This record gives sequence, structure tokens and C-alpha cells, in this order.
Amino acid sequence: MTTEAKLPTKRYFEDVQVGDEIPRLVKAPVTHLQLVRYAGASGDFNPLHTDPKIGEMLGIGGIIAHGMLIMGFLGQLLSDYVGPTALRKFGVRFKSMTRLDDVITCSGTITEKYEADGEARIAGKVQAVDQNGDVKASGTFVAALPKRGE
Amino acid sequence: MFDQSKIGQSFPPFTYQVERSKIHELNLAIGDENPLYHSKEAAQAAGYPDVPASPTTPTTFQFWGNADFVKHLVAIGVNVMRIIHGEEEYEYLAPIYAGDVLTGVTTLVDGKSRQSKDGSSMDILTLETRYTNQSGQEVLKARQVLIVR
Repeated sequence: MTTEAKLPTKRYFEDVQVGDEIPRLVKAPVTHLQLVRYAGASGDFNPLHTDPKIGEMLGIGGIIAHGMLIMGFLGQLLSDYVGPTALRKFGVRFKSMTRLDDVITCSGTITEKYEADGEARIAGKVQAVDQNGDVKASGTFVAALPKRGE
Repeated sequence: MFDQSKIGQSFPPFTYQVERSKIHELNLAIGDENPLYHSKEAAQAAGYPDVPASPTTPTTFQFWGNADFVKHLVAIGVNVMRIIHGEEEYEYLAPIYAGDVLTGVTTLVDGKSRQSKDGSSMDILTLETRYTNQSGQEVLKARQVLIVR
């Protein structure tokens, strides 16, 4: 794959303040093809994510996205913000089902800064909402950041 | 009613080799174009030994690493067609890179039945999977809440 996409800039502990908002991430509309790809990539082949007939049968009206895809969107928000190996904890609760064509916006806020286990850490909350403002997933995270001059 | 005698039961350990192509594929599906997840060269240029696992890459460990996961759920009495994913939480204890060989052990840490407002019953199961790498280092704890209607 070509790598024209830019690396996120490195963030230091001193750059982050309690109350800061993580730059929003607006994802492209969820498509059926994306769910098929996500099934193959993740290995979660539960047909209610890929087969519209199953969705009808279960009375949920068509297919729904994997919850983990939405957590993946939130993971992208966080790894863009702190880098790929800085997360110490990341948990979400799935609140409602995501359907085809939903446009998911991910956002987050820093709630805490502290030192623990010899690391400078930040904690925060994140959420994913659709185009109507319905919350799909919400959660919390902890990340370790480097300090300037160390 | 969920059979509470199953609480504390661990499924047999599974091993999984973290694959560069799988991290690439998962992030393509998510739409995360961060070059670190798609190119060994980009990852090494940024100072990483290989492509790092992205935050939700552990989902591939569970589904691809533990081919019998669904079978194990059935064995403890779960109707897998009725599962809703309630929560997922990762505790990252050490970085995970492509090429690492992980061993995972999943334990049913909690299970209870609850009455819904409409009178129907649902089971709420909490599973925890602990992963160690090829050096015997504990790298990840994954906690999952499944709701079975």
C-alpha cells in the first residue's frame, strides 16, 4: 500500500491539559462492503453483520455493524492523538446499533493528568455518535506520554 | 438461567502469531490510514521494530487465534445467535508488534441472569483473556461483556 497519509505529530505530556478536546474524527458512511471487509479482517463472521436475511429474521431490520468496528473508529481517534504504543487502557460500552449509511463522529476529552508507575499519564473519555447525535459507544482511556527533555 | 457453576472456568490456551498483513487488513476495513499500520518501513523509520498492533487489533487474536471460541461458548450453554456485545476493555501491558507469538487464556470471570422489563430473561457474561508473548511477558488483558438475550 502507498503511504501518502501523514504520520500524526508526536504529542508530549506538557502539550495536553485537562479539558482539552481530542480533534474530532468524522468517518465515511458505513457501507455493506466495509462490514464484509471487517468480518474477514477481524474474523468475526457472525452473519447478522453481513447477511441482510439474518437481520430480518432476528427482527432487527437489516444488518448492523460490528461493535468492534465502532471501537476501531475510536481507536483511530486515540492512536492519532497519542500514537500506537501509548495506550495503557481503553474500554468502551456499546450503547446502540450502527446501521448502513450511518456517519460516525468520534470525539473525546482529557479528564486527568497524573504520574503513575514512573510514567506521565493522561486519562480521558471518548464517544462515537451518529448523524442524529445517537450515542453508539462511549468509553474511557489511559495513555502514557513522553515529557519534554526526557 | 445461566449455570453459575461455570464461573471461573478457563478455555484451553490458544496461540496466535501477530501478522503484519492482518494489522494492515483490519485498519483498511476501519479506514485508518496511519502508515505505521500499513508499512514495516514506515514503522521502522518511526523507531518501532515492526508494525505495531493498533488499539483494536486484539479482536483478531480472539477470532483468528481461538478458532474454537464459539464452540467453547456453546459448551457453557450460550446461544451464540443471541449474543450482543456489551463492553470491551483492553489493558495494554507492553507493546505488541507483528511477528510476536501470543498465548491467550480466556476465563469466564462472571455470569448472571437478569430479568428485562418485558419479563424475558437475559444472561450477562464477563470473559477475560490474558495474553503473554514469546518471551513469557504478559502483554495484554482483554475484558469482554457479552449479553445473551
